[in-house]
Amino acid sequence: MTGGTTRRGFLRTGVGAALTTTACRPTVGAERAPEGTPRQAEDPGRERVRVDTTVNGGARAFDVGPDESALEVVRATGLTGAKHGCGHGACGACTMLLDGTPVTTCLLPATSLHGRKVHTVESLAEGDALHPIQRAFMVEDALQCGYCTPGFVVEAAAFYDRWRAEHGATEPSRDEIAAALAGHLCRCGSYEAIYRAVGRACAGTIPAGAAAARVDARDKVCGAAIYTVDVRVPGMLHAKALHAPWAHARVRRMDWSKALALPGTRGVVDLLGPSRLVRHAGQELLAIAAVDEATAARAIALVELDVDVLPPLLTMESATAPGAAPIYPRGDRRDLPNATEGPLLPERWDGNRRGPLDLLSKRGNKAERAIEEARSVGFVADGTYYTQVQCHSALEPHAAVASWDGPERLLVYLSTQGVHAMAQDLAQRYGLREDDVRVVAQHVGGGFGAKATLQSEAVIAVELAKLCGAPVRYALDRRMEIMIGGNRPGSTIECAVATDRAGEMVGMRAKATSTAGIAVGTVTSILFRIIYPDAPRELSDFDVVTHAPPGKPFRGPGGPPAFFALEQTIDALAHARGEDPLVVRKRWDPNPARKPLYAWADSIPAWRDRGAVGADTGRHRRGIGVACGAWFAFAEPRARVQLENTPDGLVASCSTQDIGNGVRTSIAQLVAKRFGLRADEVFVRIGESNFVHGPMAGGSRTTSSIAGPCDAAADELQAELVDVASRRWRLQEAEATEAGVRHEGGVIPWRDIFRVAPKIVVVGHRPRDKGGYFLPPVQGIAAERYVSGSIQLSQVEVDTRLGKIRVLESWIGLGVGRIVSPALARSQAEGGVIQGIGYALYEERRLDPRAGFLLTAGLEDYRIAGIGDVGPIHVHFDEHGYEKVPGHNVGLGELVTLTPAAAIANAVYHATKWRPDSLPLRPDRVLKGLGR
Amino acid sequence: MIRFASDLAAAQGGDGEIRAGGTDLQERRRMHGAAGPLVDLRDATDGRAIEVGADGRVRIGALVTIAELAADAGVRAGYPGLAQAAGGLATPQIRAVGTVGGNLLQHTRCWYYRAPEAECLKRGGSTCSARKGDHLWHACFDRGPCASVHASTLGMALLAYDARVAVLGASLATVAELYGDGRDATKHNLLPDGAVLSGVDLDAPRRGERSVYLRVISRARAEWPLVEVLVRLGVEADAVAWAKVAVGAVASVPLRLPHVEAALVGAPATPEAMLAIAALAREGTDPLPMTGYKVDLLEGAVADALERALVEQPVGGA
Repeated sequence: MTGGTTRRGFLRTGVGAALTTTACRPTVGAERAPEGTPRQAEDPGRERVRVDTTVNGGARAFDVGPDESALEVVRATGLTGAKHGCGHGACGACTMLLDGTPVTTCLLPATSLHGRKVHTVESLAEGDALHPIQRAFMVEDALQCGYCTPGFVVEAAAFYDRWRAEHGATEPSRDEIAAALAGHLCRCGSYEAIYRAVGRACAGTIPAGAAAARVDARDKVCGAAIYTVDVRVPGMLHAKALHAPWAHARVRRMDWSKALALPGTRGVVDLLGPSRLVRHAGQELLAIAAVDEATAARAIALVELDVDVLPPLLTMESATAPGAAPIYPRGDRRDLPNATEGPLLPERWDGNRRGPLDLLSKRGNKAERAIEEARSVGFVADGTYYTQVQCHSALEPHAAVASWDGPERLLVYLSTQGVHAMAQDLAQRYGLREDDVRVVAQHVGGGFGAKATLQSEAVIAVELAKLCGAPVRYALDRRMEIMIGGNRPGSTIECAVATDRAGEMVGMRAKATSTAGIAVGTVTSILFRIIYPDAPRELSDFDVVTHAPPGKPFRGPGGPPAFFALEQTIDALAHARGEDPLVVRKRWDPNPARKPLYAWADSIPAWRDRGAVGADTGRHRRGIGVACGAWFAFAEPRARVQLENTPDGLVASCSTQDIGNGVRTSIAQLVAKRFGLRADEVFVRIGESNFVHGPMAGGSRTTSSIAGPCDAAADELQAELVDVASRRWRLQEAEATEAGVRHEGGVIPWRDIFRVAPKIVVVGHRPRDKGGYFLPPVQGIAAERYVSGSIQLSQVEVDTRLGKIRVLESWIGLGVGRIVSPALARSQAEGGVIQGIGYALYEERRLDPRAGFLLTAGLEDYRIAGIGDVGPIHVHFDEHGYEKVPGHNVGLGELVTLTPAAAIANAVYHATKWRPDSLPLRPDRVLKGLGR
Repeated sequence: MIRFASDLAAAQGGDGEIRAGGTDLQERRRMHGAAGPLVDLRDATDGRAIEVGADGRVRIGALVTIAELAADAGVRAGYPGLAQAAGGLATPQIRAVGTVGGNLLQHTRCWYYRAPEAECLKRGGSTCSARKGDHLWHACFDRGPCASVHASTLGMALLAYDARVAVLGASLATVAELYGDGRDATKHNLLPDGAVLSGVDLDAPRRGERSVYLRVISRARAEWPLVEVLVRLGVEADAVAWAKVAVGAVASVPLRLPHVEAALVGAPATPEAMLAIAALAREGTDPLPMTGYKVDLLEGAVADALERALVEQPVGGA
């Protein structure tokens, strides 16, 4: 803790504005490595070992370090199909074949490759002939973002080869498939489709020539899809950050002189901000760029710090205890990190508590009186529910590669849900013209809400690239991805719902107190209003700030906790009244979109034929539960799609990005349908900020935003092409049809017209909803006059001896209007249910209760659902309704995540008579709940 | 510094951490920023076989992979509980690379041991952070001062087989001696620096024995156990003639439950008797504030394993 660095010596960058919607601190200092520092790393301890190996059939020699992984070495050759996911062998994204056997190469020393044969995903196909497993994954849509896909495909192909050798063309059981693929994790939750793909491939029942569900599926199953972490540009430097190990501290001095003197180090940026305060463990203090990652890491270790470590407030209880020091003193409460979507409204502060947000309360006093009255003359269900902090933990970490072309042009490869918005934010932050900032994300390995704002990974790469005059790459490791990559706030929800004797809802109360760490803006109890009648209600939300990493919007922000509390309360009320839980909901449900779903749910035998609550009394008890969901419908009215013809087909472009939601495919299908083409005849260009404005992949609004523009662009281009054809062939009364231009003498196919037409470029806009929006667009986002609707049923088995809950089967019925891509919609629904199973049963971020650092620091301890954890999932769409929305549909990405925890908890109650109140439903909680 | 040992004997000397499959070591070195010297067994040609001696004894080489152990026909036939344990741990890809020796000598999964920020007795610290902090997955037999549980499933399984260890450069004889009583908080095992574990020796299978491995986890697969059990029973004339019960993930070393074993001898081979005796698994537990549930799980797991053992196919036929 010595050294004489002073702030005077720092090179000021002049970039000071805090980002209003992120956890980033403004940059206050930066320094380049001194002139004398050698440009190349020269580490005397850096020993190299020669390794002679065979990669994909070709002899290769490498000089590797003793601790280097096989994954790093193979990826450095350009074979980037295998991915770094977790770094500890849990996710399997790095799987390759070593002498024919699948192994996790992130843990395999590169020296072990000596004399062995390695095969990567890139070698599975022989020329154009794909492995049957690759074809099956494409046809069954057994992938979403695609980041885990190369690992799954390599493992599944090895399994297929073994299976076929031993069993011929027969179908393996789900259990056999799960056993083979147990070493792989998919955060998007594609497991249902993976079961189908592997089973049908083994059985030989994938039809020859069957089409892929996605236009980019082939790239994903071949390892050819390029993600931000795969981007390599010439002269690229690598950055590492110094993360605070303490949750609360004041940094007196950071001395990086020794770090900058290390050969190969190029520059450092200070990320701490003018307050010099650390407010959560994992916070980035500074970042260093160097010629390679190892040098950057060694430089980080040489930074000397002079710090006052201060006592942290880590729980809601300690942060709101009398005398607790405010984490944000008065005057320091502007530009706080925002845990939700949309702007932060001004709210009262009381120490570390902020709120209430109670916009949707109505006749609150009457609600209170009605609840009290109902205790004697009606029915009341009330309780307090506790939900955990859940981490997004997309398998592709937050990552950026930034390069400057002169002082005014910036290119950033960024793993983001919003290329367009990020380019705008970067332009604003660096005072550049929007056209001079290009943000690129060809493929994005999952986001779930955590990659929707401009965050530190971009700032670090951009700042260091500017400072060092060279491209800079920065990516979080898994530990930091879980720590600071984003999380869903934990909530305590006190709620009560009352009915009169006749069963009408007479009052509702919900008070949610949530902690998003140092972020604010949690919205939870408000969601109680989205689904049931317009009864008197008192709904209030409070934030409690703590010294923990900032929460971020997470797929249905506030939804899973709110529905866990609400839908169990409704269930309890139905049981108290002796009514069928589905009947109560149907009676109260004002949403026409959900009405047809009740009949569907009632027709499911497992529900219809269920026994009484607690009828099972043995060790293993089965139960089934129901929960309803509803979500807002949003659109980006400014979304556009550009369409142009080429001699071979069409090119559609738009500055949106595919995070696994499948928008690349949806655009292709929407356009192709209008021209009678196959989806793969429409080349879709997305993932670039400089294309026409496209929607962010967030807020369940992508498909409903682009459907209208696709149609409008098709209309306009067809009109132009009709003119072209009419002139060229002197047609009379020509008109556009799906097949081509129809005229008196017949139909000229579009393909014939493409061959002769000049290039025509049109841009389709999104028409307004008929009847207008619920609210005028705010920040470019319009709330539509509709809510989506869902009903979910879950059947569980509770092992009362070992405290284990298994989800045997799930059903989800969705009212979201017209489905554009049935396979992709099903995948997204299954994925939401699977993420919900993880949230209900396993996922939980745990911090050290005294110092606030991360304990669940990898995918072994932060547990997401694996393929063996999901029973069959049935998805049902009712496509009625929403006729006034262009495209006739609303979003479904968030809706499908709302109900699983509630449906599972209600099923546990049905099985055991025990009503769970805390997530996740761990074995220790189950045993306690059952009174062991 | 890395040195490639041409055989296991050449790895002796303590001039570096010994690396076999690397599945534990690589992550640990990365997490802790360790760059100390390595002695790599990549080129060692010995220790890679499962050999059956004339007397029916079995030697499992330290470099046999976990997948090989799980798939070995002789092990599956003679030591089914051991084969189940090997096949039930980690993931297929890890089992393909991880070795028997590496599994026995792996370090604890305690999240404080793995966290670079934490103070930890096993990393030279003066206090156990888990004890005062979050120990949800930690010991319910508190041997103190370290609160962690041992991570080796094979160590637990081999303890039930009274296995001996073959060690070059030290005089350890049994798996039980390899781990000791777990009271030395600084150690994961008692193998001295410089010594090399070369293999494990098992007595010939006992004809008619039944064995079951049970791993209690929250998900379906691929998880570190909350509790694990290996039960071996000899059943004669509808009564238990002898019993060996080992448990893991409950203490800083794998444990045998001698009072359970004693109570089993002579007990009727009925599920009811097994359930009653399983309650004795609670004896000697002294859980930490957050690990009381593990005592319940332990009783349940022992009951489950005993009940299942009764209906297992006996080794060598009935």
